[in-house]
Amino acid sequence: MINATTVIRVGTAEAARAGVSRGELRVGDTPDGEPVTIPVTIARGAAEGPVLWIHGCVHGDEFCGAFIIHELLRTLDAASLSGVVVALPMLNITASQRGQRMSPFATFGYGDLNRCFPGMPDGAFTDQMAHAIYTGLRQYADYFVDFHTALTPDTRWALYANAPGDVGRRSEGMARAFGLKSTLPSPMDILGGSAMIAAAKDGIPSLIVEMGGIGPAFERETVLEGAERLRNVLRHLGMLAEKPKDHGPLTYFSNFAWVNATRGGLFERAVQCGQRVDKGTLVGRYIGAHGDILEEVKSPHAGIVLAINPGPAMATGDVLVHIGLDPRET
Amino acid sequence: MATLSIGSAVLEGSGLARGYLKVGDMPDGRPMQVPVLLRRGAKPGPTLWLHGCVHGNEACGAFVVHRLVHEIDTAALAGTIVALPILNITAFRSKQRMSPFEGFAGGDLNRCFPGKADGALTEQMAHAIYRELKIHANYLIDLHTAMTADVRWALYPNALGEVGKKSESMARAFGFNSTLPAPMDILAGSAMMAAARDGIPSLIVEAGGKGPAFTSALVSEVVERLQNVMRQVGMLPGAVAQHGPLTYFSNFAWVRASQGGLFQRAVHCGERLKVGTVLGHYYDLWGQPTGEALSPNAGVVLAIHPGPLMASGETLVHIGLDPREV
Repeated sequence: MINATTVIRVGTAEAARAGVSRGELRVGDTPDGEPVTIPVTIARGAAEGPVLWIHGCVHGDEFCGAFIIHELLRTLDAASLSGVVVALPMLNITASQRGQRMSPFATFGYGDLNRCFPGMPDGAFTDQMAHAIYTGLRQYADYFVDFHTALTPDTRWALYANAPGDVGRRSEGMARAFGLKSTLPSPMDILGGSAMIAAAKDGIPSLIVEMGGIGPAFERETVLEGAERLRNVLRHLGMLAEKPKDHGPLTYFSNFAWVNATRGGLFERAVQCGQRVDKGTLVGRYIGAHGDILEEVKSPHAGIVLAINPGPAMATGDVLVHIGLDPRET
Repeated sequence: MATLSIGSAVLEGSGLARGYLKVGDMPDGRPMQVPVLLRRGAKPGPTLWLHGCVHGNEACGAFVVHRLVHEIDTAALAGTIVALPILNITAFRSKQRMSPFEGFAGGDLNRCFPGKADGALTEQMAHAIYRELKIHANYLIDLHTAMTADVRWALYPNALGEVGKKSESMARAFGFNSTLPAPMDILAGSAMMAAARDGIPSLIVEAGGKGPAFTSALVSEVVERLQNVMRQVGMLPGAVAQHGPLTYFSNFAWVRASQGGLFQRAVHCGERLKVGTVLGHYYDLWGQPTGEALSPNAGVVLAIHPGPLMASGETLVHIGLDPREV
């Protein structure tokens, strides 16, 4: 929690008093020597309160989160806000410009920004980006929400850092206030290098939201719903005055299983996100170039579908399905 | 029955054959080949040439072709379907419109027909495909998509005489409400226009959007409409379903974005526009509104950009002009 005299600066955005400041944070340089800058909005309330850091487009083609963050910002009134929202809706800007997951400037390094936190000032392109971003996050954030998408518009799940003690408890509180039915209390030994796990290790309660699909694969309703759920997190944190809505029991998982395609072909999915699968449930069909069914692919696990490949074409190794394991109502 | 062969697909009698047509070489020297399906009926009749994925990321057409060819009953079929579900195979693999091996020439396969044996990659591809099309096809149907899942329109070559009349009857049997009798001076280099000039009645179907942006229900619907075209041309038994009057256009207008930014569309395909109708809203990186895109033309939306991001010059909207019920 910052006090009333603290000035918050992220790049050129600067909030010394109540109101909204917009600016840009430099996260690297382009090959022609121009700065790579990303948008930053700081909305500072009239009353004191915590700093909530929200960001989106860690993966450049996951645009739904940017629209959710924008929707929140447009409807946020600094006069009725307690605390500060620091919003970076489009983190991996050079990837977003190309409509792809990773930056075209990521060469030898590991280009997945959500595996690079807390970052390295002298690392590869994406490591340096992560460092520039995480510096502000660690300095200011009391709470953190990271918006992602999976593959299809029907994606709706969340995961929080299941850290020991207070960080885990407060992360869970955010997850319950966000209230997507499928929620993973994320073991601390997975997703190394994600902003969520890095922040939790630094004592910042954290949540990842997965809503919508890649590129244009999301609906306006999902954007509005995501913004309303995010507002509920602000209520829960005491940053908005209204009483938070109680979403009731959620479905928790022990972990998730990524299942990669072991063959390629045209692909038709047979399941929806949120659907229960048993071991052996038909997940989809691989189809050859002549239209013959090559294989009916079965789920290797029981659980709940968190993400499913929409097709229409898949090479070996693509993410086939992402399954939440050991679902239990909590 | 005479032997029918296209590439390595060979059919002696009636039934189904699978094979590949070589359209070029890969950079590693292996053949670049596209899948071919031949389905010949028990009874004599015309040859319908069907192809999809002229643009590699327009996958809906491949699913339509697959379902049509595999579900058809050889015993009921009069004539032959020659089907190439994935024409631009290297673009399809890369999930993009044009081949990744295309260098200088631009690479839009639907501007390269009838092709050139010694041209750039896409021209050579077009040549290898069109050579067979010209020999075998009595009718051509070319399956495309636009950008969003709600795309549903068709166009036929408004050629003089018999070719134009037969093309129109295919369009009516297909029966999408939004239909363009395409003036013969547009879409030069498309397979449709090349075929029409060679006397082959033709139809382009635009159904569904890019990549995964189409539904299984749309695939089924397009298959059913194609079967109706096959009834119309005497390849399948049964009465031709009448779709009633269609909405014809005089031409279309491609409207390019003169502004970039985050974009949220405000119209759907098939919707009527006036000059000045709001097509969508632009936002900056901070989520602040930066402008509205207004329609420069009256007409019907054929295609609209889904966003969420748009650079200047991208296709903002595609409008069918001067709609009239016919």
